[in-house]
Amino acid sequence: MSELSVLSRELEGVVLLYPSGFINAHTVRLFEGELQKALDGGRYRIVVSGVDLRYVASAGLGALMGVIEEVRTNGGDIRLAELNETVRNIFEMLGFNHLYRIFPSEQEAILSFREASGTGGAPA
Amino acid sequence: MKGRRRPRPAVVLRVPSRTEFLAAIRDTAKRVAEFAGCEAGTAEQVALAVDEAATNVIEHAYGGAADRRIELSFLLTPEELRVEIADDGQPVDTGAVPDVDLRRYASERRRGGFGVHLMGRIMDTVSFRRTARGNVCCLVKKLPAGDARVAR
Repeated sequence: MSELSVLSRELEGVVLLYPSGFINAHTVRLFEGELQKALDGGRYRIVVSGVDLRYVASAGLGALMGVIEEVRTNGGDIRLAELNETVRNIFEMLGFNHLYRIFPSEQEAILSFREASGTGGAPA
Repeated sequence: MKGRRRPRPAVVLRVPSRTEFLAAIRDTAKRVAEFAGCEAGTAEQVALAVDEAATNVIEHAYGGAADRRIELSFLLTPEELRVEIADDGQPVDTGAVPDVDLRRYASERRRGGFGVHLMGRIMDTVSFRRTARGNVCCLVKKLPAGDARVAR
């Protein structure tokens, strides 16, 4: 079994990424590649769904940090949804929940882009 | 009088310095932590800390070289789980780690430097020492009182 696969689709102008498995130093290139594909295509509204993400190490957090400035500079955002408790705890340990908006469901994350301009922004 | 004896490692894992082996390292750490009496969520976190320490060895002490070796020793006492991650690579900087400033990291598009912070958040102590044989990173997690499965 592959340690990580990342499915991607687009809905209502939002790129949805579904990493399945775990993201660590071994698998992070694949995840970074999918993020970069969205940016290369001028897609800056991104939702990362953690529904099948079992585990994320600091390499995965670094992948998000490496592009968030570019995404927000271009009026977009990366939002997270459906994180399991393990993954959510890891994000919270370093305060990533203050920099990224985390939603209980994918649908809520997508809809959040309709708010105001639907762009930018760390959580208040 | 005899001095306090160092516990024998319950598990020793020697793996090549390749990221492919991080999954095996993580699985081993999780199982040992569960055996030691850690709850599932805590065991997951201990596994993450060990994964981060091994990643640091691969990326920093060995500079990405895949033909070196990492030795992980899991030592159990009734009070604590101690994991020692040893390498014979370049000395690592064991200086004080500054607090995480995520907004600054974001503006700098920084992708690294989070692992050691995670280790510090998860474990009760994180220490580094340089020996004649190389670097040793020591991670200690205190165990729930009376819950450890290790006899004295």
